Amino acid sequence: MILRADHVAGAAFIAFGLLVIAISGSLPFGNLSSPGSGFLPMILSVLMMLFGATLMVRAGESRAFATLTWTDAKHAAMVVLITALAVAAFEWLGFVTTNVLMMFALLVAIERRGLLPAAVYSVAVVVTTFVLFVYVLKTPLETGPLGF
Amino acid sequence: METTLHSLLLGFSVAFEPHNAWYAFLGCLVGTLVGVLPGIGPLAGISILLPVTFGLNATQAIIMLAGIYYGSQYGGSTTSILMRIPGEASSVMTCIDGYAMAQKGRAGAALCIAAVGSWIGGTFGVLVLTLVAPPLATLAIKFGPPEYTALLVLGLIFLAYMSSTSLVRTLLMASLGLMLGMIGIDNMTGDFRYSFNLAELGDGIGIVPVAVGLFGLGEILSTPSADAVKNVMAPKLRELLPTRQEWREAAMPIARGTLLGFIIGIIPGSAHIISSFLSYALEKRLSKHPEQFGKGAVAGVAGPETANNAASTGAFVPLLALGIPTSPITAVLIGALMIHGVSVGPMLVNEHPDVFWGFVASMYVGNLMLLALNLPLVSLFVTVLRIPYAYLYPMIIMFCIIGVYETNNSIVDVWIMLIMGVLGYALRKFEFDPAPLVLGLVIAPILEQSLRQSLIMSNGDYLIFLSRPISLGLFLVSATLLTLAAISFVLKRRDWRATLAEVEAGEIES
Repeated sequence: MILRADHVAGAAFIAFGLLVIAISGSLPFGNLSSPGSGFLPMILSVLMMLFGATLMVRAGESRAFATLTWTDAKHAAMVVLITALAVAAFEWLGFVTTNVLMMFALLVAIERRGLLPAAVYSVAVVVTTFVLFVYVLKTPLETGPLGF
Repeated sequence: METTLHSLLLGFSVAFEPHNAWYAFLGCLVGTLVGVLPGIGPLAGISILLPVTFGLNATQAIIMLAGIYYGSQYGGSTTSILMRIPGEASSVMTCIDGYAMAQKGRAGAALCIAAVGSWIGGTFGVLVLTLVAPPLATLAIKFGPPEYTALLVLGLIFLAYMSSTSLVRTLLMASLGLMLGMIGIDNMTGDFRYSFNLAELGDGIGIVPVAVGLFGLGEILSTPSADAVKNVMAPKLRELLPTRQEWREAAMPIARGTLLGFIIGIIPGSAHIISSFLSYALEKRLSKHPEQFGKGAVAGVAGPETANNAASTGAFVPLLALGIPTSPITAVLIGALMIHGVSVGPMLVNEHPDVFWGFVASMYVGNLMLLALNLPLVSLFVTVLRIPYAYLYPMIIMFCIIGVYETNNSIVDVWIMLIMGVLGYALRKFEFDPAPLVLGLVIAPILEQSLRQSLIMSNGDYLIFLSRPISLGLFLVSATLLTLAAISFVLKRRDWRATLAEVEAGEIES
């Protein structure tokens, strides 16, 4: 049997449904006439598992899993990693420093741009945005230890 | 009627206040840019710019955000016609004949016809909205929890039925969205659900981080800069006027697209996308020369572009009259108004007439602004596309972070956005449309509350849904749609939805 994309997707939804049921133990289900806070999550989990199973049954219509292209995965993973580091530092370093570093890292590490153009572009864009939001639109942005 | 006209005049007095007119202009301009840029759709655009409206009053905020919404519909046609790249999903059909016209040297005419059609569709939509929304709001006051439950269930089923991907995939996405909507404090019992001791999750997951993550960041993750577009053609101003023959060919498709788009717009679902496809299919069927479709048929541009703008306006009818979001975009607009202390629903027109009528009047003005903006400034908008994508996407990520963080000043929201970005990337790989997920997330609390309130009203008797005429009618429509969908599902019958899925896939990949 060929493993198809919908086999994987359907299995993932079934697993997710089971996970939700497993962590919903403490929520009162109530009954059909008087549903508790766990009622709808339980119904939705069961529905999701049913739909997931249907997807698997009809998976023959989908592409073979092996034919899915993952050439963009490295780019995506690096963007996620750099953005995650920026999010982790955001409240500590503030808007300007975090975003300058994030944009610089994205341009240099992923896009292989020169150090100087990347630095100039990052600083220019972030500082312009900061001025626009804080002074023109009167929307305060997170500040760091340096006051911006 | 007299009252409506009087109220509309009040609306125009609000819309023409310099500050309000400025924000309408700003919204239209930014919306056009959002539509032009591949990667930021109207939903992500509105979500990202939501914090910008915090310093404005409710009227200015909704005027600006709505301007972004319908501006993006206009802007989406530019990249479709000039580059065969839909700036946003509803412009997919315009790619086919718009780009073919551009290759024949008629890019300017195609842009002009798209802009005029969009203006007519949008303006007609506002006209009907003006007449229909207030009486509908009066009727909606009679809606109780059972009617709201029935209407929301119908919305979900209609979305699934009309979806271009399969019924099961749409229902899966909607279920996942509803499930995410269960996170947070249960309003009826006070129980914490799936909040994992994070205080920020007590209020549930916000629509902004989910929408920005799925549609903004998810798109960026799926688009390596090496694959981004490089060649852009820009028509000259003098080439913008269509010939008399082209106007004649566009007239009836524009008229039909206007009506069709508006009617589809008021029904829940991704109406603007569906309407453009149906309009294209209708024009091809009615044409005396169907063989010209795909080779630069004027009707193939005029119909879909008009329909998607009419549908965008039609979507405001249930929003303003019933307070029900029929799409993720209108859901964000509701959120924006709630941030400003304005509850959307049947009482809006009476409690905040300045907001309601100011907003309606601003749409007349905004559509006119867009017509004036889009044609002369097309070269300017195209210039934006010349910025290398490698430089563009880091800036978009920065705006995603600002937009999400500023909404609640919560870093947890930004983490949710990041997680949703990864989920959006995975969903694209497996050909799932994330729009029903967002819609499910939005309506989950309303659906759950109205269902449980209905059962309290009836002492747990489910027959309450069948004993009230409006809810019975709505459930009958739902049952009919489910039956129709089940028949084509079981018989594996191909219909227009399968064709739409193929066209969308083909156009977006090309």
